[in-house]
Amino acid sequence: MSAEALPAWSEPFVENQRAGLKRELPLGRLERASLFDGADGAGVTVAIIDSGVERDHSAVGGRLVTSVVVELPQAEDEDAIVRLDPDAIDVVGHGTACAGIIHSLAPAAQLISVRVLGPDNRGKGAIFAAGLQWAIGQGASVVNLSLSSRSEAMFPIFHDLADQAYFANCLLVSAANNVPGASYPSLFAAVVSVAAHDVADPWTWFYNPAPPVEFGAYGVDVEIAWKGGGSVVATGNSFAAPHVAGLAALIRGRYPEATPFEVKTILAATANQPA
Amino acid sequence: MSPAGPSGDRLSVDALELLRAIARRGALARRLEDGVERALLRSIVEATATLFDAEAASIALFDPGRGQLVFEVAAGEQGQGVIGLAIPPDQGIAGYVYSTAQPLALSEVERDVRFGRGAAEATGYVPRSILAVPLLDERGTIGVLEVLDKRSSATFSLRDIELAGVFAGQATVAIRASRIERDTAALLRASLAALVQPEERATVEEIVRLAVTDQDRDDEGRLWAIVDRVARLRAADPGELEMLVEILEVVARRAERRSDQRRRSGRARPAR
Repeated sequence: MSAEALPAWSEPFVENQRAGLKRELPLGRLERASLFDGADGAGVTVAIIDSGVERDHSAVGGRLVTSVVVELPQAEDEDAIVRLDPDAIDVVGHGTACAGIIHSLAPAAQLISVRVLGPDNRGKGAIFAAGLQWAIGQGASVVNLSLSSRSEAMFPIFHDLADQAYFANCLLVSAANNVPGASYPSLFAAVVSVAAHDVADPWTWFYNPAPPVEFGAYGVDVEIAWKGGGSVVATGNSFAAPHVAGLAALIRGRYPEATPFEVKTILAATANQPA
Repeated sequence: MSPAGPSGDRLSVDALELLRAIARRGALARRLEDGVERALLRSIVEATATLFDAEAASIALFDPGRGQLVFEVAAGEQGQGVIGLAIPPDQGIAGYVYSTAQPLALSEVERDVRFGRGAAEATGYVPRSILAVPLLDERGTIGVLEVLDKRSSATFSLRDIELAGVFAGQATVAIRASRIERDTAALLRASLAALVQPEERATVEEIVRLAVTDQDRDDEGRLWAIVDRVARLRAADPGELEMLVEILEVVARRAERRSDQRRRSGRARPAR
């Protein structure tokens, strides 16, 4: 494999490359203060499709209102099963990390955890899709997807779900996958695709006019919540996405009627200008 | 075995194509014996550990039979304890990266008491930092490459994640080659099944088993030579198909003989 084969989605957002992001916005820039000052995400529901969220973790601030786990069906031709997870556990720590980041930006937003880690290759794409379908059906305003599927067989399913979400006013925020090859739904136009930048600040984000990855957010050496009430320092696009999900929750809290298209536009118009 | 009569339609073009593929792949597979694959993967984790100046590096592969992620190779003194460790594919950092194909770097993990205890119990070593990237082929994730404790820095950078991805790509290429060997069984089964009557499936299974499990290198070589001859009949005319039948009868007789020998010597293996 050659180095050129790597997508390096974070590349446009690192310090010595950021000048390439400079541009005139067609409708001009928006003042952040008018949009974000005093915004707390109240009235917004954010779904976190991940490894689960620990309800009692201090980083989640008691905002987890529902927790479900998606499981493989008994027979191949049946739908995946979505059942309540009354214990609200996180089998890894990763979902709690994402929830903690979203809560730190949008403290009044309600959180829903959809645990979708499948047991094997056969099931995980279907479980992930079923979890996303369920979250859209729950009326979530924002869905954080710090994971993706590479299965070609899942392409039409995720494509359909991305459209469904878009038309249901549900914004999908998807972590770009820093590995070669396609991954869904992070590369679909209807989602907000996010890679990490290297500025240690949750309030710094960049807009990249050259898709597929449109936003760069804090994702390097982020102090995150982890399993068992713990915390660690982490790096990855996984942790950049929930920063944008948190910002989107703030926008949706202020403008509940804002469409995914408008939220994306606001995020672009309030993004940091590269120095 | 009394194979199907030599009718051209039974001996489908597809089946012959498959046999030809087996012959090609069989020759490749023999060069990729288990020891070679392992050595290749080990060289990849060793190169990874050296390049990152890391305490350890390891590769875990998903074992569909066990339904677990199993650590196959490791580099670095601190990494050896992890070899053979099997974990559920939806738990832990390796499980997360396997399940989501999302690379991940964690540091200051020793701060997390639960994490440290779990790692120490499992491998005898508590890392301070972990970088895990997925091994991805066209169809999905097949495993995870982990790097533990880069000595020059307390954390891993975005560059590190991308670089580890390159090594993971190399490992995937090596593994894909070795999996061709495993595919051989499926190919052989499919193509032989197309040549025989349904009631002779047991014979097919025996041939497949011989082809993929027999440790007798000489015999295996001969079996592949037969398969190779079958494959060369790709352009066979009806007269030559008679010969094909004879060849398969030879294979079947040999399979029977070997299975008798095994029964007598108590080496019979349970049918898979």
